[in-house]
Amino acid sequence: MSFISKDTQIYREDEKSGHKKLRPEQREELLKNYLPAPPSRQRSSSRARKQGSSRLGVRRFLKAQLYALLYLFIHAIFSLYIRTRGAYRAVSSRLISILKHHYNSPEYIARDVATLSRLPNHLSIILTLENGGRGDALEKLVNEVSEVAAWCAAAGIPTLSVYEKTGVLKRYMTQTHRSVCHRLKIWFGKHQVPALALFARGAPTIRSHSRQGLDLILVSEDDGREAMVDLTRVLTEMVQKEKIAAEDITMDVIDNELSEAVMSEPDLLISFEPYVDLQGYPPWAIRLTEIHCAPDNQGVGYQLFLQALRKYAQATFKLGK
Amino acid sequence: MSDLYLSHIRNWFWKSPPAEWFMRGAKEVLIGTLKQGPIPKHVAFEMDGNRRFAKNHKIETIEGHHLGFEALARVLEICYKSGVKVVTVYAFSIENFNRPRGEVKGLMALAKVKLEQLVQHGELLDRYGACIRVLGERDLIPDDVLPFVDRAVEMTKHNKDAVLNICFPYTSRAEMTSAIKATIDEFTSPSQPAKPPFSQTRITQKIRSNYSKRTESLDSIREASPDAGAKSDVDDSMSSTTALDPESPTLESTTTKPRRFPNPENITADTINSHTYTAECPPLDIFIRTSNVTRLSDFMLWQCHENTHIFFLKCFWPEFDLWHFVPVLLEWQWRQKKLLEKELSRK
Repeated sequence: MSFISKDTQIYREDEKSGHKKLRPEQREELLKNYLPAPPSRQRSSSRARKQGSSRLGVRRFLKAQLYALLYLFIHAIFSLYIRTRGAYRAVSSRLISILKHHYNSPEYIARDVATLSRLPNHLSIILTLENGGRGDALEKLVNEVSEVAAWCAAAGIPTLSVYEKTGVLKRYMTQTHRSVCHRLKIWFGKHQVPALALFARGAPTIRSHSRQGLDLILVSEDDGREAMVDLTRVLTEMVQKEKIAAEDITMDVIDNELSEAVMSEPDLLISFEPYVDLQGYPPWAIRLTEIHCAPDNQGVGYQLFLQALRKYAQATFKLGK
Repeated sequence: MSDLYLSHIRNWFWKSPPAEWFMRGAKEVLIGTLKQGPIPKHVAFEMDGNRRFAKNHKIETIEGHHLGFEALARVLEICYKSGVKVVTVYAFSIENFNRPRGEVKGLMALAKVKLEQLVQHGELLDRYGACIRVLGERDLIPDDVLPFVDRAVEMTKHNKDAVLNICFPYTSRAEMTSAIKATIDEFTSPSQPAKPPFSQTRITQKIRSNYSKRTESLDSIREASPDAGAKSDVDDSMSSTTALDPESPTLESTTTKPRRFPNPENITADTINSHTYTAECPPLDIFIRTSNVTRLSDFMLWQCHENTHIFFLKCFWPEFDLWHFVPVLLEWQWRQKKLLEKELSRK
């Protein structure tokens, strides 16, 4: 295990003096106590010496039994802990969401975000299609998309991308567009409804008006690694036909192409899952994205959305500096 | 004042030999216990918070990095003892070159000294059976550090039990770019990488011979010569017309000029994956980032995208110890159990 304090002290003093205090042999001596037994051949002899009394391996057997028992015990406790935590969080988030409901009013949300020092330009969310798409799972999904879109429009976030692994929404783009527009109309009223543009890779854009409004991007698993594979294919073909030189392909080129075709880098990613699970989210895009996920969270909730925005406003970006 | 006094007593207690002996035993038992369950094969650490830790404790930045190194040694020991096969650590980002020059220099000196010591104690390393790999942009490693990197990698190459990947000048986007470029290189070099398992030429020949057999049974005149046009399977997509009977127009294809290049359609995610730095490593199971920053920050983007459990911890890296790692491992084991149950119930 890690050094005992006396050895740590020796080690640190040596470090401070620029490694002049200890000779290599002394350093080796220092480490010896902490190293595992030398592998293979030598191990058997040393064990025989050490455990001369228990040749039948009684001690080892007992040890294994103890470990197995302890494992069950620890996991039982942990399971209990996780369930309690989950229940507690579910109840408290329920309570908060009742107390601080947004009442479907844009003004209420605008007031909530007014105190924040900055907002993301591009928000991304991960949603899941439940039960493999059976029953009313699709309706529920579209409902969630419209809900979050309405929050974004009210908060003043110009771009929202929705990641859903299977890409089922891309097959129903017109319906999704109509449904989200309908929701926005309910929220904002007929005259102030923001325009909605719906994008997806390799599909025509659906726009409601020419006015500025909310951009909604649908992203699926195909836009992740697969999109990069497609790009590689295209680039390979171009190099094969000698349209471009292989040396000219830089990070810039790839970045530009992927952000044009799929989406730009989101500023904030909210996962409504109980734990961070990217599910195949586009790897190129999420470089510096702030990821927000509340442990044990269940379902899409406004409080989580607000929490994420608050956290984003506080986060500092250093870019390696 | 009493606070200070108490913390002294606490320190004295934890550093007394019996307490240390007990803690060592407890850690040993804990690791042995956790080994009973599933163990991740590949864990990645983003070692963040050395500088903030130094600032909070009012010590020099470089001191913080030194303490971070100690934490790394601790973590590696825990990981390998509990049976993790591959540990990947983010030691230095390409962006880190933008830091104050003194700090970069100090970090490089740290890397140099540690690698030098490593090389000195080569035989001790073999006890862990660990091999070291340095991932990243080789060209960016300073000239005085590079020989030590090479020596360390060379000396531990034969060890197979465990792998330590040190990402040193690394960013994930640079990695993905280089993987894409390597894939393009592979598919634009005229040499044939591998023969496709099914040959279109062979299929057309077989069909043709079937045709001729049928006509043979009808007319029993025509003489088929299936081997006459046995062309090599080198051209992967189009068969040459010479092998075909003029009587079978449906199978006839226009003469295409023989393609020198493999078909780009054969590129898959696995092809690109095989060109990443972690190609030989098992998929990433756990990603741990310390110091309460919830970003991936250009680390393991390609590897993280699927089935990776990402944990953002609040502690700073120099504080990281078994007590922070155990809850992560427990939760991972618990989730694995849940996922397994879910899968079983679906079947």
